[in-house]
Amino acid sequence: MRRHIQKKIYHVEVLPPKQDTEKLEADLERFANKYNRVLDNGYCACITDNAMGLLAFQGTELIEELSLPVKPEQVMIHLNTFHTKVELDIILNTCQSMGIQYLLAITGDGSDRLPKLQPADVGAEDVESVTSVELMRYIGREYSDVFTMGVAFNPYEPADHEFAKLDRKLDAGAEFIITQPIIEKNAVVDKLLADYPDIPVVLEAWMSKKLHLLSDAVGYEIPEDTAYDPMATLEMLHRTYPQCGMYLSLLGFKTQFDKITDTWVS
Amino acid sequence: MITLTDIERSAYKNVWVVAEVLAGNIEAVTHELLGAARELADARGSEVWAVVMGSGVTEQAGSLAAFGADRVVVVDDPQLTDFVDEVEAEVLVRLIEKHKPEILICGATTRGRALIPRVAVITNCGLTADCTGLAIDSDTGDLLQTRPAFGGNIMATIRCSNHRPQMATVRPRVMAAPDAQEGRQAEIITEPLNQNDTRQLKKILEVFHSDETAVNLADADVIVAGGRGVKGREGFDLLRQLAARLGGAVGASRAAVDAGWIPYAHQVGQTGQTVQTKVYIACGISGQIQHLVGMQSSDLIIAIDKDPDTPLMQMADVAVVGDLFEIVPELIRAIPKL
Amino acid sequence: MKIVVCIKQVPATNDAKIDPETKRIIREGLKAILNPFDTYALEEAIQLRDQFGGEVIALSMGPPKAEAVLREAISLGVDSAILLSDRAYGGSDTWATSYALSRAIDTIGGVDLVLCGKQAVDGDTAQVGPGIAAHLDWMQATYVMAVDEVQDAGMTVKRMHEDGYDVCEVPFPAVMTVVKGINTPRVPTLKGRLASLKIDIPVWKPADIGADVERLGLDGSPTRVVKTQPPPPRSSSTKRIEGSPEECANALLHELRLRSIV
Repeated sequence: MRRHIQKKIYHVEVLPPKQDTEKLEADLERFANKYNRVLDNGYCACITDNAMGLLAFQGTELIEELSLPVKPEQVMIHLNTFHTKVELDIILNTCQSMGIQYLLAITGDGSDRLPKLQPADVGAEDVESVTSVELMRYIGREYSDVFTMGVAFNPYEPADHEFAKLDRKLDAGAEFIITQPIIEKNAVVDKLLADYPDIPVVLEAWMSKKLHLLSDAVGYEIPEDTAYDPMATLEMLHRTYPQCGMYLSLLGFKTQFDKITDTWVS
Repeated sequence: MITLTDIERSAYKNVWVVAEVLAGNIEAVTHELLGAARELADARGSEVWAVVMGSGVTEQAGSLAAFGADRVVVVDDPQLTDFVDEVEAEVLVRLIEKHKPEILICGATTRGRALIPRVAVITNCGLTADCTGLAIDSDTGDLLQTRPAFGGNIMATIRCSNHRPQMATVRPRVMAAPDAQEGRQAEIITEPLNQNDTRQLKKILEVFHSDETAVNLADADVIVAGGRGVKGREGFDLLRQLAARLGGAVGASRAAVDAGWIPYAHQVGQTGQTVQTKVYIACGISGQIQHLVGMQSSDLIIAIDKDPDTPLMQMADVAVVGDLFEIVPELIRAIPKL
Repeated sequence: MKIVVCIKQVPATNDAKIDPETKRIIREGLKAILNPFDTYALEEAIQLRDQFGGEVIALSMGPPKAEAVLREAISLGVDSAILLSDRAYGGSDTWATSYALSRAIDTIGGVDLVLCGKQAVDGDTAQVGPGIAAHLDWMQATYVMAVDEVQDAGMTVKRMHEDGYDVCEVPFPAVMTVVKGINTPRVPTLKGRLASLKIDIPVWKPADIGADVERLGLDGSPTRVVKTQPPPPRSSSTKRIEGSPEECANALLHELRLRSIV
């Protein structure tokens, strides 16, 4: 991950088509186009896993079905704890055989239709439910040295609690950190960078103008009428945190994609 | 559809209650149904009959007189020890054909809801599940059956004019049991099992009355339910204490069940059980719609949550803003011991 | 093993809103989804087939748009699907619905096992499963919470009851209704979803299943809904209690006393 930061490789989130889409074929084509553009430009495509508990297709099956190229440095799969054991192993085995190296392990959001990994599935004892920590321990045990695993960090949660969680995640094998989106200099992120200088940190940059969506996603209130310029914010984040990587969520492929080519200057 | 003429219809008389027999005991829901049946029979100027199917049940059958039964049909046979739907259905169909009841009601228990639909189809009768109201239409003499649909969102009134008997199931605790009238007598009619089905039947290998699955949510006056805010198994121990002190049962949201804190049998909501209790105390349950449809018909809804703005806190009749881990122990202390 | 799974399209309550006046769920404008309990029946059928061989057929009755839940069943991995759709089926109560489904099962032929969810979340009756068994004169097992064993001639299952459970050996052919805890349903795969777009779902009319139209639809239904009305509204005001834990507990105790619970 250090390499990504040194080489200024953006992490670009690519959302997989939703399960309930009525125009699956068109959505698949759009997904393939976005994915290919990200790879062709030398960035890293990050594919979410049923984000916000909304059912979507898995990154691995999309890559397989659409015969998309995989370059180890340029693909990251999100992996949450809402899977059956069988599904989890299929995903991990497919990642391994495809040469996907980066996994972002998250606890994730459930829904009525999503199964949840049970402690016994991942050989976890003494826990009531499986979080990213148990998930990473399982992957570390069963797929020793196959993957580079990262974890999420939420600077909007009470800091003591979040740092304690982070310590458990690092202990379970996390090698990099991706934050929740920040839109300004953030004291908790500053503390993270100061206290964990050896762990690569990637900041999530919110590339949509719609700030209320961000409020919904991170659960903290941002006044709706706040004027927001995503490109200017991204530049500001680069200036403020030159040691960090950037994860771009909701990037506009029509309007923004071509402009980020020379945003990362430092 | 086979429909009956007026003359054929008039051959059907009396209101039947199919007794709920569990492990050889007649359950309380039977008394509740007898109370409802008494009112219907009085309105029709007819009799209340109870049907008791089981093994070693003859002695208890007479006790149903005190709750309003005029006659009790008893089928007492070792083959009826365990619940074999097909055998009980065959017996009940034969009794119906022989004695022609006008109305037949049964508890909407797991057994009743398995048995009566089978009987209704065989006898070409209409059946209404989970009735909350039963009344006689004064014009036609038909049974008017009112039931909630869509998680209690709509009340539908259903009639079954051309078929007899008119059949309904009623959940436990929905009707009030009448006070027992000691000394009241009923005629006992003993009927043999006479099973004709010669096929290989379902075999009950074992029966478990386990505490882990014994969660009689339908029977409880008070349910103390927990969700994500209960935080774990220990939290549910606290709720169990409160429920025990109130003589109630413990419920749970899907989130708590999915987290493995409490078995599925406790789940209230769309994919769990629908409950209708006097008091529902929701502790740390945010109130997803799936949960609300399962408990919104309770008489009094109390919510305890730190967050005053959850859907459940807004829907509740009484919303207590605070930490359930502080309030519930205080409440347990404050409630006088039973 | 030849398994038929009966499924139903129902309104989704997931994104329903609550009416601030009546404090009840607003039902209008809801999306249509696969009945949540049916996902367990589908999963169980697929697991049985994968373990013991055979085929799984999804069967539904409803308007033409109910085809969507059959496509969903295909995307989960069932082998084929059949829709019963015709004006003649419209307005069927549980008697007529179970009649139509039983005719279709008979028409399919050679079926060992019919699986249903324990009930549909819109009607909540739990009557169609046992109704199908009665029409076919097959054995039934309701509220099945676990399949313990599968033999050639039948299955050993656990049935959930209010006070526990029992273990029973059910000979084939049989109808079973399943509860949530029985398994963990999978979500559709992309391959399955793409396959579901291509598959042809036959629509069977009453004549195709040899059904007596007099036993179908509104005319074939013994029951009639004569009136629907909203339930008595909940009190629209919420009494809010705040204060120290002790104050809260005392206020709660007062409420419980008012209801004669304490």
